[in-house]
Amino acid sequence: MKRVKAVLGDDPEIAFAEKRYNMIGEILEECLTKTETGMTFSDKLDKVLLNKYLGIPIFLILVWALFQFSIEASGVFMAIIETALVTVGEFFGTLLAGNEMAASLVQDGIFGGFAFILPFLAPIFLMFLGIAWLEDSGYFARAAFVMDKLLRKLGVHGKTFIPMMLGFGCNIPAIMACRSIEGEKDRMISILSNPYISCGARLPVYVLFAAAFFPGFEGSVIFSMYILGLAVAIFTAWLLRKTFFKGEPEPFIMELPIYRVPTLRASVLHMWERGVVFLKKAGTWLFLGAIILWFMSAFGPAGYLGIDPDVSVSYTGILGGLIQPIFAPLGFDWRLGAALIFAFLAKEIAVESLGIIFAIEGDIAIGGALAGVFSPATAAAFMIFILLYIPCVAAVGTIKSETNSWKWTLFSVVYSIIIAYVIAAIAFALLSAIGLGVIGGA
Amino acid sequence: MTVRVALIGNPNVGKSVIFNNLVPGARQHVGNWPGKTVEKKTGKYRYNGEEYELVDLPGCYSLTARAVDELVSRTYILEEKPDVVVNIVDASNVERNLYLTLLLMELEANIVVALNQMDVAKSKGYTIRTEKLASRLGIPVVETIATQKVGMEMLKKAIENAAKSPKPAFLTYPSDIEDLIEKLVTILSVDASLVTHHPARWLAIKLIERDKEVLEMIQGTALDSKIEEVFA
Repeated sequence: MKRVKAVLGDDPEIAFAEKRYNMIGEILEECLTKTETGMTFSDKLDKVLLNKYLGIPIFLILVWALFQFSIEASGVFMAIIETALVTVGEFFGTLLAGNEMAASLVQDGIFGGFAFILPFLAPIFLMFLGIAWLEDSGYFARAAFVMDKLLRKLGVHGKTFIPMMLGFGCNIPAIMACRSIEGEKDRMISILSNPYISCGARLPVYVLFAAAFFPGFEGSVIFSMYILGLAVAIFTAWLLRKTFFKGEPEPFIMELPIYRVPTLRASVLHMWERGVVFLKKAGTWLFLGAIILWFMSAFGPAGYLGIDPDVSVSYTGILGGLIQPIFAPLGFDWRLGAALIFAFLAKEIAVESLGIIFAIEGDIAIGGALAGVFSPATAAAFMIFILLYIPCVAAVGTIKSETNSWKWTLFSVVYSIIIAYVIAAIAFALLSAIGLGVIGGA
Repeated sequence: MTVRVALIGNPNVGKSVIFNNLVPGARQHVGNWPGKTVEKKTGKYRYNGEEYELVDLPGCYSLTARAVDELVSRTYILEEKPDVVVNIVDASNVERNLYLTLLLMELEANIVVALNQMDVAKSKGYTIRTEKLASRLGIPVVETIATQKVGMEMLKKAIENAAKSPKPAFLTYPSDIEDLIEKLVTILSVDASLVTHHPARWLAIKLIERDKEVLEMIQGTALDSKIEEVFA
């Protein structure tokens, strides 16, 4: 009787696979003819884009171009949305002129906070359009390939980079996409390093602060925030590999899709799919949040604070004051402290809450108001803190469900606060040393 | 009655595009990178008065018990027994893609092959004799260019035909392997519950490959020692 070993040898699985490929070969001999066509366009493009030396610089240039595009091109849209909102705001203002408190709720809370955040949807949408275009073109997979060499040296799986790129949109789907990473250790590293990738919700904070403190350099300042996030993510992945998840990354095998020119329809659809999440969030949570934030900022233990009051004695002020001492070395006041507390719900709430606080205080031009209270070094430290500290509450929930561990979720939260503080402090010290620590100086 | 259709194929062959083309109003996010469909997604469409439920399975290269997404797809086909399995094959990469087709044939699924990305194949200088391929495999093959919605009507028609007159695929291996399969099938047939739930030939092939999951199924049963004799 013939045995398996006699027919297929010592490794029957591999031998069986060979048999299958032989059969495919036989079938295709009859069904497939190949004519030599030389190098395809995809191959030629890859010669450049995947070049050993050019690969990473090209990636960085593309990302820089992406942010430059979303900031520059969104200016006009932001202006249109702002003008429309001002008109509506004035209309309500005259309508409610008789009732001081109602007028403040509508003008400071709804228009100062909620409507204040709406123009920032323009750069978010345009950035999503750019990301969709890069993704649909087939470059996404290449970026992972290009970064693999660098990441592998650090013991990090190249595929980790795909969820990282997705994180530029939103960290939640990005963390879920880590499921496609083989190997439990590699997957955990990917999940825990992802929150430092700067998502769309952080963008309004950068746009507001960069325009107020670093006019003329907005694109570059914002780009450097994204690169910093990427660097911290990669550093975190390296650290986790060296400490809790020792070992070698699994081999990286990924098929490179062919390049395609993305259709406008597909890219816009794609942008819409991701962006609509922000619209929904704005229509529900940010709107509700604005009302609550207005109450907390216009009222204090002493009751309604009146017109153009000292908001530091409001509930918001008291809350912000609680954590302010920790951040005093960075030049944060109670306003930024409060913004950090509220931004845990969603990072764009930082902008909303600052808008409301300044509006209640009677400042309409918040950009100028910010520059009058903080130094550029403090602004940079705040942007960095917003970038790195605890992702929003929804992302923390996703980390919990994907790691299935409270321990790692807690680790992620605590670690993120520490690293945010340390890097913000370093940036503050460096910028102060070159003279940017002065209020009103830039 | 709803016809249940599973979509399966290697990563990044255009499964999600086909899914979106077939299911009206579906706007499944389509990405140009492998591994996009992490979970299975479902949608419905109507064709000639009949309702079809489409399940988009995660992309995979093979159907081993080792990777989670492969096991998900395999278990789905074995246990849910979809009426039709649509195997999307990248025409510009047929050699590698047909490997999964053979594995699906081993599962004795009722398969329709969609030979997708015909445009890319052509630009690479490939000429595929589709009818010949269909007759060699013994399963219907439809040419498609999903991104341009080409061949979608033909695909729906082929799915309809396959659902109306199901024909489980059958794959014959060279005679030395067939001997082994036959021997194992004879042994396995004793266990009626095992072979009514899984195709006996597939179990035999997986036993030869020492598939973890199938070995566990057999372990501790009366068949165990008899099967070991074939290996020894």
